[in-house]
Amino acid sequence: MGLCHNTQVMGRWFRFLFVLLVGLAAGLLYGWLINPVKYIDTTPDSLRADYKTDYVLMTAESYHDNGDLALAARRLALLGDSPPIDFVRQSMMYASQVGYAEADLNLLGELATDLQSWNPLQDVGSP
Amino acid sequence: MRDERGPWYLITGLVLGIALGLFYAWVVSPVEYVDTSPASLRADFKDQYRALIAAAYVADGNLARAQARLNLLADVDEARTLAEQAQRSLAEGGSRQAAQDLGLLAAAIGQGPTPLTTSSTAGEASPISTSTITSTPMTVSTESSLTPTSTTMPLATEVAPTKPVSTDQNAETTSIPSPSFVPLPTRTPTTTPEAPLVLQDRTFICDQKLNDPLIQVLAEDAAGKPVPSVEVVVNWEGGEDHFFTGLKPELGLGYADFTMTPGVEYTLRLAAGGQVISGLTAAECETQTGGRYWGSWQLVFSQP
Repeated sequence: MGLCHNTQVMGRWFRFLFVLLVGLAAGLLYGWLINPVKYIDTTPDSLRADYKTDYVLMTAESYHDNGDLALAARRLALLGDSPPIDFVRQSMMYASQVGYAEADLNLLGELATDLQSWNPLQDVGSP
Repeated sequence: MRDERGPWYLITGLVLGIALGLFYAWVVSPVEYVDTSPASLRADFKDQYRALIAAAYVADGNLARAQARLNLLADVDEARTLAEQAQRSLAEGGSRQAAQDLGLLAAAIGQGPTPLTTSSTAGEASPISTSTITSTPMTVSTESSLTPTSTTMPLATEVAPTKPVSTDQNAETTSIPSPSFVPLPTRTPTTTPEAPLVLQDRTFICDQKLNDPLIQVLAEDAAGKPVPSVEVVVNWEGGEDHFFTGLKPELGLGYADFTMTPGVEYTLRLAAGGQVISGLTAAECETQTGGRYWGSWQLVFSQP
């Protein structure tokens, strides 16, 4: 009698855990696949590597034209908290890997070189 | 007696499981979008992205490349979006240079691949330079491997990491071993010195369809084609404003207007220099039935 009772209890627990897992799976399925969290207002730091590289290239193109390093740095700052030159270096690596045109690589190189010696404090106006 | 409990414990387990699953999927480990596209950017970041595209376009004059970049933002009407952003930027006291860049790109997109005209530097009556842009079909691979299958398609696609168009104006199209090889919308600058814009006509017009008293500026080149992105400076006692032609492409790429306040006298000049037009004030017109409405000044600038 006691053994039978224990078996019943065990069976009930097993079934409980089984439906718990089924529910868990259903929840994950719904939350990850059917109705996942939607990111519609993303920030530039989440852009895919090729888009980021093109963003940096645009910054370099504009910098080559206007020579405004502070403006270029502000634009690069949108890509994240790292120093602006890091984004340019990453972009140069990516651009080299996928075979960007020489002219584009030169633009990125120019921006990287100038950022190396750039002191942000120089562009802060004195009171 | 135990049978009377029924299946409720199973339902409890299922609900608990679903709740735990959703908590994990939505809160603990939600889907992370680390490789997003520019189209998903927040509106203000899209504006900055668009401004950067315009700045890069003004820097390299490569319209095909700018167009491909704009496609990534998935704007419904790119020229209008650019023009509206330029106007908004000016209205909010943003960078005039950025507004001008946006206006230039809006005008270029509205026109298609036709000559790019940039306004001359403020304070100088320098010639307007013209660059002719020609574009060629581009090829983008659909694989990220080193042995891609190439297909001819627009640059702005989601199928593979895209590689921008070459800016090397002298480069020839060459196939290179890379995930995507390049398209060459090339630019062939054909700078032709032209005369500065001068006032050709000043007319007071009565048009009942205009609700406000306006100063309308029309800029045309020597061939009578509209000239976008001409900076206009309007002054009045205690104030000054700048605006650009081409920011209302639906009214013409060489068109710009400024709303006058009745009772205030304005002077106007082009930022590039030239004649100062004074005595511009709001005045009323009269309909045949005696009704009154505001008239507008129309100023036509063109190259002699």
